Amino acid sequence: MARVGVFVCFCGANIADFVDVPAVVEEAKKIKEVKYAIDYKYMCSDPGQGMIRDAIVAHRLTSIVVAACSPRMHEKTFRKALSDAGMNPYLLEVANIREHSSWVHQKDKKAATEKSSDLIRMAVAKSIANEQLHEISVPVTKRALVIGGGIAGIQAALDIADARIPVVLVEKSPSIGGKMAQLDETFPTLDCSQCILTPKMVDVASHPYIELLPYSEVLELDGYVGNYKVKIKRKASYVNFDTCTGCGACWQKCPVKVPNEFNMGIDKRKAIYSPFPQAVPNKPVIDAEHCTMLLKGKCGICAKVCEKGSIDYAMQDEIIEREIGAVVVATGYDLWDPKPYEEYGVGRYKDIITSLEFERMVSASGPTGGVPLRPSDGKIPKSVVFIKCVGSRDEAKGIEYCSKICCMYTAKHAILLHHKVHDSHAYIFYMDIRAAGKGYEEFVKRAQVETGATYLRGRVSKIYQKGEKLMVRGEDAQIGQVVEVEADLVVLATAVYPYKDNPELARLLGISYDKYGFLSEAHPKLRPVETAKAGIFLAGCTQAPKDIPETVAQASATAAKVCGLFSGDTILKDPMISKVNTDYCSGCQNCVTVCPYQAIVTEEIPLGHGSKEIRTVAKINEGVCQGCGSCVAICRSMAIDLAGFTDMQIINEIVSI
Amino acid sequence: MTKLTYFPGCSAHGTSEEFDSTLKLVMKSLDVEMEELPDWNCCGATSAHVMTENLALALPLRNLVLAEKLDNKTMGIACASCYSRMKSTKVEMDNHPELAKKINSTIVEEGEYKGDVDVKSMLQFFYEDIGTETIAGKVTYPLKGLKIACYYGCLLTRPKNITQFDSPEYPMSMDNIVEALGATATPFDFKTECCGASFSISDTEIVLSLSGTILEMAKESGAHLIAVACPLCQSNLDMRQPDIAKKRGKKFDLPVLYITQLMALAFGYPLKDLKPSKHIIPIEQALSHIGEEIATPEVKKKPKKAVEAESEVE
Repeated sequence: MARVGVFVCFCGANIADFVDVPAVVEEAKKIKEVKYAIDYKYMCSDPGQGMIRDAIVAHRLTSIVVAACSPRMHEKTFRKALSDAGMNPYLLEVANIREHSSWVHQKDKKAATEKSSDLIRMAVAKSIANEQLHEISVPVTKRALVIGGGIAGIQAALDIADARIPVVLVEKSPSIGGKMAQLDETFPTLDCSQCILTPKMVDVASHPYIELLPYSEVLELDGYVGNYKVKIKRKASYVNFDTCTGCGACWQKCPVKVPNEFNMGIDKRKAIYSPFPQAVPNKPVIDAEHCTMLLKGKCGICAKVCEKGSIDYAMQDEIIEREIGAVVVATGYDLWDPKPYEEYGVGRYKDIITSLEFERMVSASGPTGGVPLRPSDGKIPKSVVFIKCVGSRDEAKGIEYCSKICCMYTAKHAILLHHKVHDSHAYIFYMDIRAAGKGYEEFVKRAQVETGATYLRGRVSKIYQKGEKLMVRGEDAQIGQVVEVEADLVVLATAVYPYKDNPELARLLGISYDKYGFLSEAHPKLRPVETAKAGIFLAGCTQAPKDIPETVAQASATAAKVCGLFSGDTILKDPMISKVNTDYCSGCQNCVTVCPYQAIVTEEIPLGHGSKEIRTVAKINEGVCQGCGSCVAICRSMAIDLAGFTDMQIINEIVSI
Repeated sequence: MTKLTYFPGCSAHGTSEEFDSTLKLVMKSLDVEMEELPDWNCCGATSAHVMTENLALALPLRNLVLAEKLDNKTMGIACASCYSRMKSTKVEMDNHPELAKKINSTIVEEGEYKGDVDVKSMLQFFYEDIGTETIAGKVTYPLKGLKIACYYGCLLTRPKNITQFDSPEYPMSMDNIVEALGATATPFDFKTECCGASFSISDTEIVLSLSGTILEMAKESGAHLIAVACPLCQSNLDMRQPDIAKKRGKKFDLPVLYITQLMALAFGYPLKDLKPSKHIIPIEQALSHIGEEIATPEVKKKPKKAVEAESEVE
């Protein structure tokens, strides 16, 4: 016979003001199985938990119902109270009478009270069918995979490796460094980006615990937290990195010129190239799409000039497999394509460039030697218009969100322009100045005072060519007038957009992404580093627009998470997962299709007892299953049950009201 | 033979007679039979939609209902304002069945709105239903040498969710048609700028300023003339030119022709069929550029050193 204890919480005034708690307790006492019911001001406090512990022993209770706030808040707390009293923690049920009742029915105390009683009745009925469950222990492979070698991936890899945990760092391009390597100076202190980044890049290359795989892509991820298997494609570089010294003779002599991605296409690179002088690894690769030797079998100059004989035109892509226990995804961002802004003449006027192009121009090691030049005629611009929020915060043409970094880097650009071209003037069209961050507001002020930049609050409505100049027409909302600015160069602060391959990557990793393509965190406030899939973590702009300090902080946070996960030889998993009754399973495999975690595989079992014939049934991988219940819902034969939410428990709940 | 319901609107029967007459010539050449909508009424433009929603929708709706009684699938509309009112009403009706019922009840004697007739501007009809290739095929007198700034005005491509045609900011359909006629379309940034038409009578100063800038930019683009597809654009840019010249102290002498006039000319109709006398700024001088060689900037040959193009070796 079940003996249920009911503990109703006031939650200070949160519940008690809108629900008649004593009446709820009296109502609970009327339920046949309830042998003990009581209320208390703060059930989650130490005395509150003590009441539960004492009652379990004193009244020989067999299951516990706590009527309080959401189980997301304190389920763990109360489970521990049960454990402490020697009871299986999964015999607890939480009736959420705060979020589901008192908070949402503040204007109707009677209804809220009745609803709270109903919720308790359901929880009591469910708890009667609760079973003792035990956490699942799974072994851990203590090696981490980091995807992406920008500042986020670099920081995560270094922090994990410094804890003496081996790291596999996969980067799709020939060098690590990412977007930060393309920047000139960084806000709010104007440190040279290369000077603070390249030492970290070198650390990655020389770290004994980091295996760096440049020019590589992740193809497949199998397994579950602590026990993943990853397949990585190492693209053929056609250069033997072991013998290559990075002398550069090959790319000096290569006759094929290709737009240089690192310099945003402002200049050309060769078909055999290393993206920038400080590249790590500092070895060239052959771009197979443009190399005439690989395309047509003619040329071969690089092989002729290479003293080490490192060029190997026959090199093939290589598939590498690694066993890992956790993944950090740090794929960064792309820039939003401003084409929809047709009124700006994007694509028609050469002298309209993006911020990253401007960044490359003002970079001392950039294609124009650190001086901004008009792409149309190569002249130094004196009047430069910067337009912020190109794509950002624009529901009509772009995306709804704020890209977060543009206010700051545009202020930086005004300063850099002033430093490089002393007699220049910057005009900045803005919607708002968002400078929340340490030293940020001061930095914007500095830009305004030091450079005398004209900040114009308003949107640009049109850009047109007049002679050599671009006429920028916009609104100055503060004086309520249309203004026209004559510009030599226009710089668009285009929005931060998710890395284009994120959706595909998310699918192969089995994690989710938002409507834009940013990878989704498990909880926007309390679990911003984890994904919904155990053992996969997010760092940097792959999750949302971020500046460098925030990216580095999140990357270090992922390292802490990985180290925590790897702190023991095994990890414990919640036992509330699906279970297949193979007697009922027809092998239709609908569950395999709907499972968002790829946790269901098939196995072959004898057709009958002792039979030699076999049949296929579903099998749940305990390590991977997250207990979402999709398979339970889709199963036609009712062969799958979810521990903690069994059909019997749910039917009990329904019958009870 | 393609059939098309023709909605002329008040301008085509008045100020833009040369639009109407050349449109008919062009359609004949293109093998399109135009059937004028019987008993059509005012679209309500510029006054109704700022006064009452009911009237603003009921007036165009009556025309749409009448058009559904004919067998033609499309109604072509000469005037951009009429087009805007008619297309807006259609979109409104198609997306809000409740509202459609309510408005329909006010013109119940005309019948029930079904929504099966498409509404297009003549420019849209030429571009989508005829196509630039067919148009080019009808040309017997190529307008080679003529440089034309195409002016679309505000209503032919806007708002985008209503018109669902071409770009709202930098449309190219008329430019492409003009090129199909053998002429050169100049890069013209002011092709969708406001000419001030709504203030044509109430505040002419605004028109002089806005239309003046459009003319100036058209001139700067190197155009010999401006092509339009809207009677109000035509009258503002043409008729106000003398006043604008006085105000700015400089003459533009830019004739403003309907796209149909240019098509008629290219299709081999004589100049007199364009009704030159209807124009304030004479058109003959500009048209005399036809046949001139246009100097194209010399294409520099690349030095044969490093190969710029993808994957070629010296």
